[in-house]
Amino acid sequence: MKRTDALQGSLPMLVLKILNRRGPLHGYGITSHIEKISDDVLRVEEGSLYPALHRMEEGGWIKAKWVTTENNRRARVYEITAAGRKQLEAEEGRWRAVTAAVDQVLQQA
Amino acid sequence: MSWFSRAANALGGGRLDKELDEEMRFHMEARAEELMRDGSSPTEAQREAQRRLGNSLAYREESRDARLAGWLESLGKDARFGVRILWKDRVVTLAAILSLALAIGACAAAFALIDALILRPLPVDQPDRLVYLAYEEGRPVPAIAFSYPMLERLRAVSGGRADLFAASGQYLNSAVFKSEPEKVRAEFVSGNFFSVLGLGPEIGRVLTTNDDLTPGGGPVAVLSHNFWMRRFGGSRAAVGQWFRFAGKRFQIVGVARRGFTGIEPGTLTDFWIPQTMSSAESLQRWEMQWFRIFGRLKPGVTAAQAALAFQAAFTNTRREWAPLAFGANDAPEFKQRFLNAKLVLRPGASGTSNLRQAFARPMWILAVVAALVLLIACSNLANLFTARAMAREREMALRISIGAGRPRLLQQVLIEGALLAALACVLGLSFGAVAAPAIVGMLGSSQNPAYLDLHVGWRMILFTALSGLAAMVLFALVPALRASGTAPQEALKSGGAKHSGRSAMLRPMLAAQVAFSFMVLFAGGMFLFSFQKLVNVDLGFARNGVALVSLTASNKVQDAHLYMTQLIDRVRAVPGVRSAGISAYGLFADGRWTDTVRLAGRPPETAESVILPITPGYLGTMGIRLLAGRDLTVEDVMKQSSSVLVNEAFARHYFPGEDPIGRQFFRPLSNLPDSDFHDANRLGIPQQIVGLVRDVHYDSVREPAPPTYYIPLAQTWYASLAVRTDDPLRVISLVREAVRGFGHSLQASEVRLQSTLVNDDLIRERLLAILSGFFALVAVVLAAVGLYGVLSYSVARRTREIGIRVALGARCGAVVRLVVTEAAVVIAVGLAAGVCGGKLLAGSVGKLLYEVKPTDVASIAFPVGCLLAAAALAAVRPAMRAAGVDPSVALREE
Repeated sequence: MKRTDALQGSLPMLVLKILNRRGPLHGYGITSHIEKISDDVLRVEEGSLYPALHRMEEGGWIKAKWVTTENNRRARVYEITAAGRKQLEAEEGRWRAVTAAVDQVLQQA
Repeated sequence: MSWFSRAANALGGGRLDKELDEEMRFHMEARAEELMRDGSSPTEAQREAQRRLGNSLAYREESRDARLAGWLESLGKDARFGVRILWKDRVVTLAAILSLALAIGACAAAFALIDALILRPLPVDQPDRLVYLAYEEGRPVPAIAFSYPMLERLRAVSGGRADLFAASGQYLNSAVFKSEPEKVRAEFVSGNFFSVLGLGPEIGRVLTTNDDLTPGGGPVAVLSHNFWMRRFGGSRAAVGQWFRFAGKRFQIVGVARRGFTGIEPGTLTDFWIPQTMSSAESLQRWEMQWFRIFGRLKPGVTAAQAALAFQAAFTNTRREWAPLAFGANDAPEFKQRFLNAKLVLRPGASGTSNLRQAFARPMWILAVVAALVLLIACSNLANLFTARAMAREREMALRISIGAGRPRLLQQVLIEGALLAALACVLGLSFGAVAAPAIVGMLGSSQNPAYLDLHVGWRMILFTALSGLAAMVLFALVPALRASGTAPQEALKSGGAKHSGRSAMLRPMLAAQVAFSFMVLFAGGMFLFSFQKLVNVDLGFARNGVALVSLTASNKVQDAHLYMTQLIDRVRAVPGVRSAGISAYGLFADGRWTDTVRLAGRPPETAESVILPITPGYLGTMGIRLLAGRDLTVEDVMKQSSSVLVNEAFARHYFPGEDPIGRQFFRPLSNLPDSDFHDANRLGIPQQIVGLVRDVHYDSVREPAPPTYYIPLAQTWYASLAVRTDDPLRVISLVREAVRGFGHSLQASEVRLQSTLVNDDLIRERLLAILSGFFALVAVVLAAVGLYGVLSYSVARRTREIGIRVALGARCGAVVRLVVTEAAVVIAVGLAAGVCGGKLLAGSVGKLLYEVKPTDVASIAFPVGCLLAAAALAAVRPAMRAAGVDPSVALREE
């Protein structure tokens, strides 16, 4: 859609990675983590995260539940599932293979 | 937006939208807070948060589509998976669907019949405001027949309370439209019949109050839509045509609204004619009670209030009539009963129906039996599903452990059940739609076919769908809940070692199935025995090989018995006729003439006897044995002598322990103006007993012979010619020829076989025996299949255990005993429960039985025996398989 095209395809993988490492997080938490880790390079239009989250939920990679935060607000918290870990493993593998291949081409071309 | 959105709304998707909104709002607030912490002003922070979030509405739509699509996709996936699983086991699946379809179909058929016969209100305006009048006169069934003078009296007091209208029963008679006479069913109704019911015409007009103002003044007829289509092909030219019916000419003025078949469910009316077109006599005589009175209560008036007013008029009128009805020789009880009769208003929303009276209870019983069969089929399927769920426990556990939610697993098992139930419903509905009319065909007698409106309407479809749903809940939900509740660690760890504990789940189901089967067999067995007994009842006459020809004397009624006697001589001469005789009424055919008798020196009697006028030769033709004395002779008939024959019941009742021959009794006088009706000194017409004959069932196989006496045939306009022959078909045309020789004075109409007439008396019993017998068979087969399935499954799961036992030296017999004992305990528990359930049925079933009691040994031994036999059969293979377990193979298997 916008300037985040490059990111769109790999957004699920990033989300899975973050959830796998940090444990349950709500949508805003996930956004902040991506920004922080990537030094604001990978900035997504924040709303686009949600359809992606919901698709992943339907796919069974993550599951969600409503919790009440410390300042008494309802937030939807996402957590990675076993199927999600498998998916993450597979995608990470594929990503590394692709980037390695692209790197190689870039260096040797 | 898309059809998703519509689906979302349909599925109560508002909640989903709210959740999505809330989630994004939380995000924005959190972002705004952070921005404010970094120093932005609240408005700025708000704007920036909104900007970074982007088009939240579009994202919401996208999210919702994603989540719904996910659900729909999973549904589709599960459905495909379900089909695959069902297909893999197609023999089992087919058996399951068929048994369920049969049971659902039986329930649907029972529902269709009960709905049409009992539940469904008449297709008229506000049927719940309709009532009909009945009065209780100390007979088991309240009377509903009224006379025209009574209708007028009641109408006079009805103002403001109810609109009363009259409807006769159906008159089966011939009508001549063009040239050929044809059998039609007509109903005499009052002029306000249609207007009070709120029924308009399909074409032409309906009857109005102007049509029944004066006797004979409204020669018009309104056809039923059904008859109009059947007879006139729906042609508008029918209106205006004239036809002859019951000796009068009528003009067709219209066709009643489609769907209205009359006020009596169970029969079809061909046309309605004004009540005042009936004979002058029937409009004047107080004792000619020939129609039912219905009423529509005025707004705000209750049935009890209206009944109160009608009761007063009813009793006053009867008080006036009592002197006309009861003479000096009548027992005073009769008069008391006549005056004390209580008038009641009954709900008339679904009309009145003889068929309903006779078949309501059998229908409900069959419905209960059908429901039990459905429960049996359900427990079979529940067993199947539970067994499958156990087999798939590891699969389920695996899926849970990799993150599949419980609802998802539940959905998966339920979808399998739903597929099965849906298929069974469709099959069952078509089965029911075929079976119900077939049963209606069995309800009617040869004379009076039954008609019920059985169209497959939304009520039947809804009922079928609901039974399918209920069945699904019973057979699929419990296993589904169990399966989805699997604790993954345990199931994966144990690898199915805890088998015996789990298969215990199957046992209560099996016991329930045995209990239900017992109940079905219990009812079915009793109906079969009862029918068997009825078929073998000695009626006292030989029913086979006798044809009854209805004779009508058109003029010179006073001499009818003379030329009827001549007719007998001519009929006897017909080749093929063994013997012939005439009675005023045919047995099991034309109703009974009853009256009290009076004995000199004794007070008036309340018991009534049947009186049957006959000619010589009648007894011989019917095979009724003369036990003592002599038969009536031609002279008795010619001279109208006072000689009579009595049957054993009559002799027992009036002359106990004495020889009746030569004794005298008196037949009551009629209340004709010139008779000595009120003269206590005249006991009646003297009758000399000259012969004693065997008891004969007069018009009912179930009822013993009533006290009966036979008098010489006297003047009459109707009689029944009995002809004994081996070849009725060929002989009857010759007999008709003989009757034709008498020209206009004598006519032969219907010909009926005596055996058919007797069979017609057992319609209800035959229906119950056939249907409940069929259900009993289905029940026992299903029970055997269920037992076989569970036993095989249990043996298969215990193969290892059995292997170990055999390896440790258990004998073949001990292994078999292991399997059989398990089954025996379950069956014993089921039978005990079944006996308790049977007690609930016994009350209402018992009332329909003949010489069979629910407490008879045979009544209980039959179902127990059947089930034990089925169980033994079902246990043979599993037991043999258990006995044949080879320990070395069994132990290596897992």
